[in-house]
Amino acid sequence: MINKNIFSKIIGWVIAIIFLTIILLPIIYVAATSLKIPLEIRTSGSLFPQGGITFENWVKAFRNVPLTKYLFNSTVVAISSTIITLLIAVPTIYTVVRFKTGGAVLPSLILGTYVMPPIVVTVPIFAIIKTLGLQDTLVGLILVHSMMNIPLAFWLLDSYIRNIPVELEHAAWVDGYSKFDTLLKIVYPLIKPGVLSTGVVCLIMSWNEFLFALILTYSDASKTFPIGISQYIGEHGMQFGEMSAAALAGIIPIYIVVFIFSKNLVEGLGRSGVKG
Amino acid sequence: MKNKLERLSPKIMAIPAWIFLAFFSIIPLIYVLSTSLTNSTLAQPFKDFVWFSNYKQAVLDENFKRSLTNTFVFAFVVTTLETLLGFLLAYAVRGIRGLSTILRSIALLPMFTPPVAVSMIWKLIYDPNSGLMNHYLMKWGLTKGLIAFLGDPKLAFPSIIFADLWQWTPFCFILCYAALQALPKAPFEAAEVDGASGWMVFRRLTLPLVLPQVIVVFLFKLLISLKVFDLVYMLTFGGPGNTTQVASFYIYRVAFKQFNTGYAAALSFLMLLIITIVATLVTKGREIIMRRSE
Repeated sequence: MINKNIFSKIIGWVIAIIFLTIILLPIIYVAATSLKIPLEIRTSGSLFPQGGITFENWVKAFRNVPLTKYLFNSTVVAISSTIITLLIAVPTIYTVVRFKTGGAVLPSLILGTYVMPPIVVTVPIFAIIKTLGLQDTLVGLILVHSMMNIPLAFWLLDSYIRNIPVELEHAAWVDGYSKFDTLLKIVYPLIKPGVLSTGVVCLIMSWNEFLFALILTYSDASKTFPIGISQYIGEHGMQFGEMSAAALAGIIPIYIVVFIFSKNLVEGLGRSGVKG
Repeated sequence: MKNKLERLSPKIMAIPAWIFLAFFSIIPLIYVLSTSLTNSTLAQPFKDFVWFSNYKQAVLDENFKRSLTNTFVFAFVVTTLETLLGFLLAYAVRGIRGLSTILRSIALLPMFTPPVAVSMIWKLIYDPNSGLMNHYLMKWGLTKGLIAFLGDPKLAFPSIIFADLWQWTPFCFILCYAALQALPKAPFEAAEVDGASGWMVFRRLTLPLVLPQVIVVFLFKLLISLKVFDLVYMLTFGGPGNTTQVASFYIYRVAFKQFNTGYAAALSFLMLLIITIVATLVTKGREIIMRRSE
């Protein structure tokens, strides 16, 4: 019995290490490539640099394309849209769960929007944004991203709201709290971890979003990071070294955020899947 | 006045959500439906009412059929593999607590990597001259010549699938792991007292208990996969030929490269219809499986 336990533990370790390697290998490889000498990149795909290390690719990546501007735009869009998403999603999910507002229609409409592939609404969204005079502006993209993330936020927050004992709120109402006050002062503190992990997910989804940014932004003043770096494939030919550096410049901020909030994210994602 | 406000406040809290729905789905869907009956272009919406001729054209469009087939093959293949692998991995490492905490933090990285960056990483890995894949396949003597993974009609699609597996298997792993952790302890302790074998416990206890959650994971990822666009746009641009063209990408081309928004609207509506039907069928299937496992 004890032997069997040790055996299954060893297998677990071996599998975990293989899994870890497969996850990290492409990331390590792209980091190593960004430090290789351009000539070496053109002729060899070895995992680590053979001919020494250089920062040439990083310098060129930031010089040839306004990467700093793209990263700045992405940051503005991601943070603003996340705030709007949460401001809309938190009261909505609360009133839907607690007061059954909108019956079955409202929640199924919101989640139905999540099923819909975004390509279906790109032309009308493009037309609406153009009518509002917001094409090629950060404001336009912020609006669209905040809308896009609402169903996801709704899904992620659901189990947190459901887990609050309703007695707490009843007590608050008896004490003369209004429903808004109850949400703000009783419910919100309890679901804060959920709001945090939801916010982080929305932030990253906006940072990563490609399709809407592709059709709504076309000048450097409003292009986000994904659109900006996708040009490396088109206009500049394939400069793998610069491309790797540019890709990493957008990946690293995300990875820092993920590591800071990894406990919340694992918990938030886990709950959304477990509740069934 | 204050009482009335208090009574209405649940409804007031939902107003932003209704505005969202109007802006993001109701008005757009009406727009799509009505332009699908016209010869609209991107510059001239609602031009020439043509009844259902866009739909007639769509039904006969070989490219569209091909792209829909590709979308569904892609979605079902990657989702099945990712859910299965994710579950097996979660099951294998469930016993090693310390390491699995680190593993779960690292496993968050691929799914949150910008898809554009994921595509760049894999484009680099697959490249014939500069890529990791060819380098080591040659070095270890597994292949004789350089392989253009993304340029070969037979290999391009599997290459995209492989990149998606890298990005999303860890996601399924994290969800399956959480599901395994949430299982009740009592039945397992009872089984141990009774001396049930590991396989019996897995077959009779773990699997039936965890299956509903695993199916939720499958459904959730399936919905994500049906939207596939970024990987195709960046890795192959639908090529070589039309071999990797998926529905979202084909509609994007018709709408924003050929500016034929009327036709694109008809294609969009058909795509939405088919995805809704499939999603409903799969959800119904889930209910049947769950009822049987009870």
